[in-house]
Amino acid sequence: MIIKLERVRVQSRRAEEAINITPKVDDIVEKSGVKNGVVNVMTCHTSSGLLVTEGIPCLEEDILTHFSRLLPEDEDYHHRRYLDFDGRMGFNAESHLKSILGGIQCTFPIENGKVVRGSRQTIYFMEYDGPLERVYLVQVLGE
Amino acid sequence: MTIDFHTHPVLIREFAEKYPNYVRVAREVFNIGNNFQPLETFFLQMDVAGIEKAVLLPIACARARQDAVSSNEQVAELCGMSGRFIGFASVDPMMPGAPKELESAITSLGLKGLKLDAALQDFDLNDPRVFGIYEVAAALEIPVLVHTGMSWAPGTPLEQGQPLLLEKAIRRFSNLHFVLAHWGWPWVWDAAALALKYPNVFLDTSCLYYDGPKEFIQFVFSKQIPTTLIERSLRNQVVFGSNYPRVEIKNMVRALKSLSLTEGCLEKIFSTNAERLLGVRQ
Repeated sequence: MIIKLERVRVQSRRAEEAINITPKVDDIVEKSGVKNGVVNVMTCHTSSGLLVTEGIPCLEEDILTHFSRLLPEDEDYHHRRYLDFDGRMGFNAESHLKSILGGIQCTFPIENGKVVRGSRQTIYFMEYDGPLERVYLVQVLGE
Repeated sequence: MTIDFHTHPVLIREFAEKYPNYVRVAREVFNIGNNFQPLETFFLQMDVAGIEKAVLLPIACARARQDAVSSNEQVAELCGMSGRFIGFASVDPMMPGAPKELESAITSLGLKGLKLDAALQDFDLNDPRVFGIYEVAAALEIPVLVHTGMSWAPGTPLEQGQPLLLEKAIRRFSNLHFVLAHWGWPWVWDAAALALKYPNVFLDTSCLYYDGPKEFIQFVFSKQIPTTLIERSLRNQVVFGSNYPRVEIKNMVRALKSLSLTEGCLEKIFSTNAERLLGVRQ
């Protein structure tokens, strides 16, 4: 049994952004030595996400636009207060809620050393409160 | 040129890796829990907010808090790394060498202003030694940004942030530009009155103490203080400040732009007034 965990840094460049991380995940799996198993990908942040959809710009835009429609910036959020443990205001409730809505992780099977996924499936790191340098985890398990 | 007149370089990862006390100061003295970020994030935060340059503010609080919140040398180092930064100096007025240190920070390190925070630095704003520092600042023709209002830093007494404590200095040094940080919140009318009465007083917009940026700014600058006070009377004495990284610059820009201020007034707040203070525009 092989278990490998990799921490990957990604720099978002906009306030909200869908970043295709599929090639990076593929690469980590192929270099892991695991022939058959699973790969789990997870963001380490509660105002970002991970999701899987078709890898085309119109959908990237639709996801961000409609998440913002469902969770507008100007809603009445309890999170808008001083957070003494952070030394700053919590004013990004909508970012946290988008993270919950879109999810924070995904899992794919590995077969013959490669990630198995549908031909349209693309893995996105979702930035909801950027720009920031973020970290996501890629854990490969198998043999 | 759009300028953020109030930022603190306390979460820069390159410095966290380079300077041993940098992390402790961020966590325990400045009191901020966010992740350290590469310098690139600072520029990207400015980019998404439409801000071209940022004033970096250190706080010389080593006597009171063991370490400074960024040193003058660190600020100068950052300015050397990017022309987008405008560095201010900070000195401890209670230290005998402070006047010379300030002069050196301006003439040798190339810093462009002075930052003081009586609460965090633990001094009396009306101590004669502070006036000695103002004399040097006036001779150097640099602006002085003074913390006023509430501070989130632990152990800082609220009363030392009262804007009216500065009136004596403002009157005596009428040729020195004072920038009252955070608009003196919660004493916003005191700060506004000082600016109304004294043309050498400027106010920065970096106040956010509850609710979201837009809610807070709209309440303070339309309910507590009428927006027309800024538009009609103080339009030449207000500068944009975010207080990044306590709040992202984009959020404070958006909040300020949500006020019913004219484009001409916003141009002064985001650009012209800061340029005049920094001597890049007459």
